[in-house]
Amino acid sequence: MTAIAVSRTSVRREAWRLRLRGARGFVRQFSRRRDGVIGLLILAVFALLAIAPGLFVGSLETATTATGLQLDPPSSAHILGTDELGRDMLNLTLHGARISMTIGFLATIITVVFGAVIGIVAGYVGGRTDALLMRLTDFFLVLPTFVLAIILAPIILDLIGTDAEFVGIKATLLVIVIVIGMTSWATTARIIRSQVLSVKERMFVDRARVIGAGPGRIMRRHVFPNVVNLIVAQTVLTFATAVFTETTLSFIGLGDPFQPSWGEILNAAQGTGAPGLGAWWYIAPPAACVVLVVLAFTLVGNALDDVLNPKVRTRR
Amino acid sequence: MGSRYLGRKLGQAVMTIFAIVILNFVLFRMMPGSPERLLHNPHLGQEQLDALRTRWGLDKPLIPDQLIAYLGATATGDLGVSIKFQNRPAIDVISDFLWPTVLLIGLGEIVAILVGLTVGAYAGWKRGGAVDRVGTGASLILYSMPYFVIGMPLIIIFAAGLHWFPTSGMSSVGISRLDFIGQVIDIGKHLVLPLTTVSLGLIGSYSIIMRSAILETRSEDYMTTARAKGLSDGRQLRAHAFPNAMLPMVTIIAINLGYVVAGAITAEVVFNWPGLGSLTVLALQERDYPVLQATFLLLSVAVVIANLVADLLYGFLDPRVRA
Repeated sequence: MTAIAVSRTSVRREAWRLRLRGARGFVRQFSRRRDGVIGLLILAVFALLAIAPGLFVGSLETATTATGLQLDPPSSAHILGTDELGRDMLNLTLHGARISMTIGFLATIITVVFGAVIGIVAGYVGGRTDALLMRLTDFFLVLPTFVLAIILAPIILDLIGTDAEFVGIKATLLVIVIVIGMTSWATTARIIRSQVLSVKERMFVDRARVIGAGPGRIMRRHVFPNVVNLIVAQTVLTFATAVFTETTLSFIGLGDPFQPSWGEILNAAQGTGAPGLGAWWYIAPPAACVVLVVLAFTLVGNALDDVLNPKVRTRR
Repeated sequence: MGSRYLGRKLGQAVMTIFAIVILNFVLFRMMPGSPERLLHNPHLGQEQLDALRTRWGLDKPLIPDQLIAYLGATATGDLGVSIKFQNRPAIDVISDFLWPTVLLIGLGEIVAILVGLTVGAYAGWKRGGAVDRVGTGASLILYSMPYFVIGMPLIIIFAAGLHWFPTSGMSSVGISRLDFIGQVIDIGKHLVLPLTTVSLGLIGSYSIIMRSAILETRSEDYMTTARAKGLSDGRQLRAHAFPNAMLPMVTIIAINLGYVVAGAITAEVVFNWPGLGSLTVLALQERDYPVLQATFLLLSVAVVIANLVADLLYGFLDPRVRA
């Protein structure tokens, strides 16, 4: 038996080398998925628009700064036409990207953090805790959560107050973020839990327990890294549903007219009677954006899920 | 069917409905503008406050007295009084708006199940073929569209543009003067576009799920047996793959119902369809909480019961889960 002296730095270097190799393999596999790459390109464009809509169309037009005629079809001055207040549709739609994507992003974070914590705790702790948490999860899965969201919205607005603001987002929209988070974590929790159930039977979890690691540490350092792939894929798919739900909630009147998301623009279009008037230019731009973003997130999410969670792939 | 399986599923459904009623009780106490808040009115004297409290039963403790009173009222169908509709009982208001929604969702589900499952089955069976490419691509796009995004272009093209169908409502003005057949035709004309919207919204997800369910069956042993017996391609699909793929669909269709309700709400708004969805949005705008809550209670209980039926149906169709 010869003891091999292993220096701390060489272990670290080796770990990095492995990580890099893993990342390269991931990029190679993902780039082979054409749907995933197309989705990623679409998302890159929308991310750019969401970060700096002002670069392309100037600041958001309001009723007083409107530049066109009322409900004017597309022309050379306004290539996407104008709304009922004479605001340029291109301007509105690009600024809508920022609001829709920000709400979608925040709602996704809340949903995934909530779902992952519940899933990991339920799966790892097991027993009564698991039974209780899963009862709650199933309850939320069955419930028509959309109607619940509508009821919760005024309650939450009352609780946080109408003056609340977070990263430039006003109370009305924060309510949408919270409501989406509260009502859509159940799917994530279920998926994560089932993965945790198989991870916790693995040898390294037993080893960690034997050398004295507490449940909190095991969940953070040993279980979590082994479900992180699933969480990543789930985050992307949740983003799709969050944008979808935000659009729907804004459409039925929970949005903020002063911070118009795509759903809010469509709500205004419906309120003006644009569909019956045949004013397609008022509807097509925001509608196309919603569909493109939701589709792109779904494509990327599915591709990620296949690449990161190979079990799904080999089953077929 | 095993009585233990039946009992467990029934018990779960009853527990869920009970939890929904409790949730409704809690939400009702938290609503802005509830009686609890009104009592903060500074112009009321202590005597008047006490009188009001006694009248509303607020002098009794929240739990158990108020809770029991609420449960009793809910059980006897007393769901509060509408604010918007001249103090009519919420349950009466809801029943006025119930049937248009049942008609729309019911027919929409039937059309979507027929079309979605057929498209999904063929796409999965001939993977990579023409049906698969076009069908799955179209399904993915439909799946990404909120119902109202499907409905608005339909109005622009078929109602505002071609004038084939009316833009909104469920019937024309003066429908009562038509004879029965005329009335059916009139409602049918109004129904076409909303129904197409709801069906298209559902077809996307149904065909995607059916496709993977069919793919799932292809590697099963009974499919190898069917091939070895020399059954034709169509018979393999119809008699062996399809029935087995249908099993998970039963559960998925039931679970999906909660989402269909959400979609139908927006479809009803787009077409001004006088159903529970339009009522929900109206109640939201008018802050008519009793109606909003009653709608939530009714829809949740309906979804739970649909899930119970699906569970029982599943147990009946697949003996393996009854254990």
